[in-house]
Amino acid sequence: MVAVTIEGLGVGYGATRIIDGLSLTIASGSFFTLLGPSGCGKTTLLRTLAGFVPVGAGSLRFGDRDVTQVPPHRRDIGMVFQDYALFPDKTLFDNVAYGLRARRVEEGAIRTRVGEALERVGLSALGARRPAELSGGQRQRVALARALVIRPTLLLMDEPLSNLDAKLRLQVRETIGELQREAGITTVFVTHDQEEALALSDRIGLMREGRLEQVGTPQDIYRAPVSAYVADFVGGANTLKVELPRSVGAGGPRAVPLGGGTVSTEVPEDLRAGAAMLLARPEDIALGAPEAGGVPATIVARQYLGGVTRYTVALATGQRLAVALHGGDHDRFRADQAVGLVFHPERTRLVAA
Amino acid sequence: MTGSTSAGGVWLALSALLAGLMVLFLLYPVGMVIASSFTGGASPGAGWVRFATEGKYLAALGNTVLLGAIVTVGSAAIGVPLAYFAARHDFPGKALVAILPLTTLVVPEVIAAQTWLMMLGNNGLITRWLAEQGIAVPSFYGWFGLSVVMTFTYYTYVYIGTLAAIRGFDVQLEEAAQGLGSPPATARWKVLVPVVLPAVLASCLLVFTLVAGNFAVATILGHRVPLLSVLTYQAFVSETGSDPVMQSTLATVSIGLVAAVLFLQRRVVSRGRYEIVMGRGARPTRLRGAAAIALAAGAGLIVAISLLPLVSVAIGAFTFARGPVTRWGQWTLANFERIILNAPDPVLNTFLYAGCATALGLAIATLASYLIVKKRTPFSPVLDYLSTLPLALSGTVIGIGLVITFNTGWLTLAGTGAIIVIAYTVRRLPFGVRNASSTLYNIPNSLEEASIGLGVPPLRSFFKVVLPVMLPSIVAAGVLVWTTTVAELSASVVVYSGGRETMPIQIFRLIESNLMAQASAYGVLMLVAILVPIWLATKLFKVDIFAAR
Repeated sequence: MVAVTIEGLGVGYGATRIIDGLSLTIASGSFFTLLGPSGCGKTTLLRTLAGFVPVGAGSLRFGDRDVTQVPPHRRDIGMVFQDYALFPDKTLFDNVAYGLRARRVEEGAIRTRVGEALERVGLSALGARRPAELSGGQRQRVALARALVIRPTLLLMDEPLSNLDAKLRLQVRETIGELQREAGITTVFVTHDQEEALALSDRIGLMREGRLEQVGTPQDIYRAPVSAYVADFVGGANTLKVELPRSVGAGGPRAVPLGGGTVSTEVPEDLRAGAAMLLARPEDIALGAPEAGGVPATIVARQYLGGVTRYTVALATGQRLAVALHGGDHDRFRADQAVGLVFHPERTRLVAA
Repeated sequence: MTGSTSAGGVWLALSALLAGLMVLFLLYPVGMVIASSFTGGASPGAGWVRFATEGKYLAALGNTVLLGAIVTVGSAAIGVPLAYFAARHDFPGKALVAILPLTTLVVPEVIAAQTWLMMLGNNGLITRWLAEQGIAVPSFYGWFGLSVVMTFTYYTYVYIGTLAAIRGFDVQLEEAAQGLGSPPATARWKVLVPVVLPAVLASCLLVFTLVAGNFAVATILGHRVPLLSVLTYQAFVSETGSDPVMQSTLATVSIGLVAAVLFLQRRVVSRGRYEIVMGRGARPTRLRGAAAIALAAGAGLIVAISLLPLVSVAIGAFTFARGPVTRWGQWTLANFERIILNAPDPVLNTFLYAGCATALGLAIATLASYLIVKKRTPFSPVLDYLSTLPLALSGTVIGIGLVITFNTGWLTLAGTGAIIVIAYTVRRLPFGVRNASSTLYNIPNSLEEASIGLGVPPLRSFFKVVLPVMLPSIVAAGVLVWTTTVAELSASVVVYSGGRETMPIQIFRLIESNLMAQASAYGVLMLVAILVPIWLATKLFKVDIFAAR
């Protein structure tokens, strides 16, 4: 159980920098997720932690140990891959025992530990099988057992769920969460799936173009996104351009003008008058009668989804936004109906444009 | 992506070493051949002047191109229909038809030429029988024999290429065309043909290059038809003392010819690379009645002719002969007795040289393909190009290059067994690399990384994780390299020296002296040396030898 400290990390193939000046501390024993779209550098960062990508600048420390120049086979990591990477010619038992044999653990202890590891992932009966005889979910469980059985300093997982179908993904996700909590091993998990990130993580680092856009708990990331990018990537949000008049001071809640009405929200200290961005999640906007106040709008389209109805509404300015209603008679509004939009004052945020 | 910091140096050093070896034993000799075609001779360019002015050289080039065209068309005429019917129809005896052309791939050319002569030559079994019936047969030597033997030797390449293309074709495309209103035959013509055509053309052009480089059949049956490969060899043999420039000039012409055709082939293949969605293969339709009988008979005849060499070499080996006179119908073991007791050297030499070349070739192929596919270094492109270069070189050219390069100087190899091993290794390099790399593309990098991550250093990870997964394809490559090396003639006949004869060289010499029975006995031993490893690999390793060919 160690903390991971990344300082001023620079990584690049040739002239292009994939990661530039990235610093991060991952708490000992925590589950940390690197979240972001493809090409944001999250997998490169993970592979740099593993040692497969050479460090161009900066340093990496596992606990007190500087591993910047340590080759991967001496970093004592457990790694789980998207494509499982099970050795096809070896049985499950030999796959899981592989890392222990490399560490010259004696054969009796190997048998006990591999047995336990396979039992923990619910595959103790299948030790003699080969990977080809298993389903995808079972294979990823074996890969997990193989990575954990060596009790690594650091557990690294590269999109381990993305090759699985939806149902298996949920099951294996639960297994991963349970095993990580049990073992208490510091874990870095890479995914592009926000739901996985929110469900599993102690903390999330949202990446964008080789740097960290925001680091925080799932709640921080979801409730207090620092930018339109974060809000949109995690949970989805309406991003609305607004003009902050000079008269609106910092603090809150203040009335910010939008499309012929006003939105009541807090104005951060560092925001100057002028163009700004209003972030509001579809479920944080309420619809009411136009006379009741709020921002006037017209319903353009409506999708009834059972427990929730999603509306597309247009402001007088032509800006469109999504509104999701649930509870009560959430399907009561019709297309072309005039409505008033009421934004949840605490969950609507202003950020720099 | 996989370049790990500590192991990078090892791979870099290995790839530099391998590239250096390939340059020394492959690129440099070829360069020497081309260079000396210009500089050798009485005055610079004398060889090219003679090539352009002395009629027989231009005639040889013309004959080679014409023969290539005839055999290519003939191979397509046999291989394409056979592949189509094997892929799309069921008929009696189909299992045999589907498998037997493959076995003829392993029949050495020298044996093919010999056995056809034993049947249709001047003293051949069939010629004599027909003569007894009062039917005069035209001489088998010359165009007739060349075309027939080469066609039946090479049509299997077209057959295999076409079969693979038709099997890979998604029959739903044809159904879609029918659904859009085309009658079945039209749909097939309009949809199947364009998709399959590039593969067919590519295999035809491959046949052309094989004909152009063919030495055994061309020499044994060519007689009064001058061909490029034969003249090159003759220029080499008569060279010592006289004018050495013609061997280089003719070798350069043949390099140019084959390279041009291979370039064309590459363009055909790359232009025809449609993205084929993995679809449903066609269900073969069962034929009945007259059509089935006609098809079975036609296919059976082709297969029977293809197998003629195997049968007649076996008959010849056990037939009594006194000198060149073969007493058909009198059986004996004397031929084997003679070659095993009195002249076992060619057998032992073959095993020794081919064994060394296979081991060496496999080590190089495994390492080269790993460096080309998985561990890219600045030398990887060099390895990639050089390991396919021998495809553009006939055995004769490789042999001449090695001889003129290592005849004297700091590294003199002429007269040693090593030069034979090197000639074998260079010639079969593309086979080995192509086979070894075919599985490597399917092995994800993560496999190796998983092993390294679990604490096993990179080099040991390769041996523990990657090598076992590569093993079936390495075995396949080994069997292919071995079988084609055991039968190698055109390069080894150039580089060998007295006392270092191999079985194919000995067979070649015995045929020239018309001693068919003894040649057959060597032929049978050679076939055993070829077929036993194939059988073992298929049984023990479940290896599909012909998959990557």
